[in-house]
Amino acid sequence: MTTLIIIVAAIFTNNILLASFLGMCSFLACSAKIETALGLGAAVIFVMTCTTAINYGIYYGVLVENAPLLKTDLTYLQFIIFIAVIAAFVQFVEMFVERFSPALYHALGIFLPLITVNCAILGASLFMIIRRYSLAQSVGFGFGGGVGWALAITLMAGLRQKMGYSHIPKPFQGVAIIMIITGVMAMAFMGFAGMVSIQ
Amino acid sequence: MRLLLGILDRVRPIFEDGGKLRPMKPVFDATENFFYAPSARTQNAPHIRDPLDLKRFMSMVIIGLAPCVVAAFYFFGLRMLAMIVVSYAAGGAVEMLFAVVRKEEINEGFLVTGLIFPLILPPGLPLWIVAVGVAFGVLVGKEIFGGTGRNPFNPALVGRCFLVLGYPGVMSATYIVPGSGPLGRLTEYVGVEAMTRATPLAEAKQGVVAPIADLFWGNVTGSAGETAAIAIIVGGVFLVLTRVANWRTVAGIIGSFTVLGLVLHYARPDDFAPVGWHLLAGGLLFGAFFMATDPVTSPITNGGKWAYAVIIGAATLLIRNLTGYVEGMMFAILLGNIAAPVLDDVAVRLRLRRLQHEG
Repeated sequence: MTTLIIIVAAIFTNNILLASFLGMCSFLACSAKIETALGLGAAVIFVMTCTTAINYGIYYGVLVENAPLLKTDLTYLQFIIFIAVIAAFVQFVEMFVERFSPALYHALGIFLPLITVNCAILGASLFMIIRRYSLAQSVGFGFGGGVGWALAITLMAGLRQKMGYSHIPKPFQGVAIIMIITGVMAMAFMGFAGMVSIQ
Repeated sequence: MRLLLGILDRVRPIFEDGGKLRPMKPVFDATENFFYAPSARTQNAPHIRDPLDLKRFMSMVIIGLAPCVVAAFYFFGLRMLAMIVVSYAAGGAVEMLFAVVRKEEINEGFLVTGLIFPLILPPGLPLWIVAVGVAFGVLVGKEIFGGTGRNPFNPALVGRCFLVLGYPGVMSATYIVPGSGPLGRLTEYVGVEAMTRATPLAEAKQGVVAPIADLFWGNVTGSAGETAAIAIIVGGVFLVLTRVANWRTVAGIIGSFTVLGLVLHYARPDDFAPVGWHLLAGGLLFGAFFMATDPVTSPITNGGKWAYAVIIGAATLLIRNLTGYVEGMMFAILLGNIAAPVLDDVAVRLRLRRLQHEG
């Protein structure tokens, strides 16, 4: 039950993009078309779900003090280890996408390797530690966070496609108007605040 | 009326190319269009057979809003007039600034935004907050996207959302108790010094349930235009019959809200009040008839409209009953606006796929 609540909360009330503003760089760069946004969103869901699970195992199996595999306290290594795990995993996804969907691979271009430094993914792993989630909760949070991120970028892509017909004043063109739209989206998502709560 | 036309014709050259006040031409055009049809004529085909233009469209909405405005004056007094004037002045200033700088026309769209905005605010709200809200709504909700017809979000709701998140204390403490008797508060000008009281939706969370008859006739606290369900229904049905408001959106919102409300009330009666009461309380009807049906910010395709309406209905019910906010209509419509382009895209794709299968 708590896992389900965490998934819903990660999608709506604590949307990793619209409430914590993590993962903005690829959100700004890759939201011009709905197809690209969906592809990148799916990749993020997959990577986030898997990396939280792997990082959970590494953190509680090796890094913490008196862990089953290593008695020393190595938690200060969590950042570098988490990033290494994410980078390795993204390499795997990249090879997989290139093999099975070359079109998507070319559409995503440089941004697929950039998932490595997508702060939302590292953020999910770190939140999992800070909030002391169990394994099921962590995977749920990773999955929900990914879905929330994919939802936000898809909605943004739709709005940007519609805005192709707009006559936006020059100073607001480009990234500026996207930031403003993100702000209004965050305002609307505030409506879910308190619906379900995670720490 | 001849006199006015004479004046307009006499000052016209000052605003034409080469005139002294050329930069102020949008202001002149707006004044002229407000009183008369524009003097420009089409030179060759296509000629318009039925001039259903933005102007008539917006005039219809204003006629549809008239019952709500009358009800607001009756229940909350002459202060409504001040709020409407401030809303038009502050929002109009932003609109005019953009029109003059960008050398565009002033659009009739603002006539509706400027009238709806005071109707969705607490009637005792300080006037400077009204001005801040409408200026923010027009600027961020509309003008920086290129003006009327280009805005992805409803400008009035962007302004109100800004106020709810930015001034939550004032926004929840300025609900004036409505007037009663044959004249109501029609002859009074009352601000927050009059008695204020929480809205029925807020009181329901403490277990105080307002009678349905009061909700129907509007004798309850609430945002200025949303209290009298009867006035909203009269104006709203007029809009649906003249096809200014799309019936699919209205039916979808009310239908999804009712169905989900029935199911959840049956499943968890402690958390969810009866759906009939919820239908008349708060801003649901006003939003469904006047705000969600905005043709610019709602989806274009019929399939998209249904999905959009279901999102709004469901989100309103969930936000009302499960979150700290007592009213969810504003957030729900904004969420619907955000989802609208994607819904259109999906609807078009499904249609194309079906056509490909047939062809």
